[in-house]
Amino acid sequence: MECDKCDRDAVMVASYSGAHLCENHFCASVEKRVRRRVREDSLVPRDASPDDPDTWVIGLSGGKDSVVLTHILDETFGRDPRIELVALSIHEGIEGYRDKSLDASVELCEDLSLQHEVVSYEEELGVRMDDVVEKDPENMAPCAYCGVFRRDLLEQYAEELDADKLLTGHNLDDEAQTALMNFLEGDVTQVAKHFDASIGGFEERALTDDFVPRAKPLRDVPEKEVALYAHLKDLPAHITECPHASEAYRGEIQQLLLKLEENHPGTRHSIMAGYEELAQMAAQQYRGDGDENVELNECERCGSKTGGTVCRKCKLVEAVEAV
Amino acid sequence: MDVSVEVVGEERHEVAVDDDATYADLVSAVDLSPHEVSVLVDGRPVPEDQPVEADRVKVLRLIKGGRT
Repeated sequence: MECDKCDRDAVMVASYSGAHLCENHFCASVEKRVRRRVREDSLVPRDASPDDPDTWVIGLSGGKDSVVLTHILDETFGRDPRIELVALSIHEGIEGYRDKSLDASVELCEDLSLQHEVVSYEEELGVRMDDVVEKDPENMAPCAYCGVFRRDLLEQYAEELDADKLLTGHNLDDEAQTALMNFLEGDVTQVAKHFDASIGGFEERALTDDFVPRAKPLRDVPEKEVALYAHLKDLPAHITECPHASEAYRGEIQQLLLKLEENHPGTRHSIMAGYEELAQMAAQQYRGDGDENVELNECERCGSKTGGTVCRKCKLVEAVEAV
Repeated sequence: MDVSVEVVGEERHEVAVDDDATYADLVSAVDLSPHEVSVLVDGRPVPEDQPVEADRVKVLRLIKGGRT
């Protein structure tokens, strides 16, 4: 089977569009989708200049998604004086898992001569995920603790690095799963927050001074294509499941979506197209309503933003240490 | 036809499929979705909608169950 655009052998078929592409045209198509998303979401501010560049911190786990995102952003903006790129990796303290993906992150950043910061739960919070899982003081899934810790450290370090934006490698499958989960849970407030926090274009979002705004430039690319891109470009990506992975509901939705996609190609794209439109309406409706009005304080222990006096992360760390 | 399907890092399956079967049919036969794998013939990925022309293929799992 030939590529639709040249006479080389096709390496993939995009069943949602019917396109057959060779290695070169497939990789170009992934890059084009990321650049289009960057443009459509207005990630590069009009007033960014070599004297006052926009700083983008990339959350780099060393998994295929963040490695591909970092690679494409570096190719696109690595020499653009209006944009500063910094990679940020977090070591959760998961034996035999994060060490390898951290090696992949270090290798990538060395290849690209990219500034790379590494922070660990152990040094920052005094806990390791392997111990948290063991102690489990709140009787929660590992991902529930880890998510709180990771968000807090990403936010704290993005701020320390003077980030204007925090970019993550969420792909189309991730976002379609989240969209469907929010919908099935009936959580319209969450849908509205999702728009303002990460999926809205920068000209359509209501931004707050409390948090570094996020963006997901890889979210038009199906997970399989992200992985195929990493494979074809021979990028140092680490593909292993986290040993503590426990998001059972997300796994169920993932399987459902794979089945739907097989029977009705294009389902993930159409979910996102409709969801983004609805999320914008929800955001407009809910803005200035309810908890957006809550004044955030600084946590009295660590200084992170919180609605109360002590933040969730500090409460969880305390609970772990009490065991 | 009989095809040897190696799921990389996991087990190898001997699969019997119709002569007009596609690589996607091979993937389904080993209980995977074409949206979570790539099929490699002689180390090169092939489009899954193509008719099977090889008697040995490798299936590369690209998607993990959990998040990273």
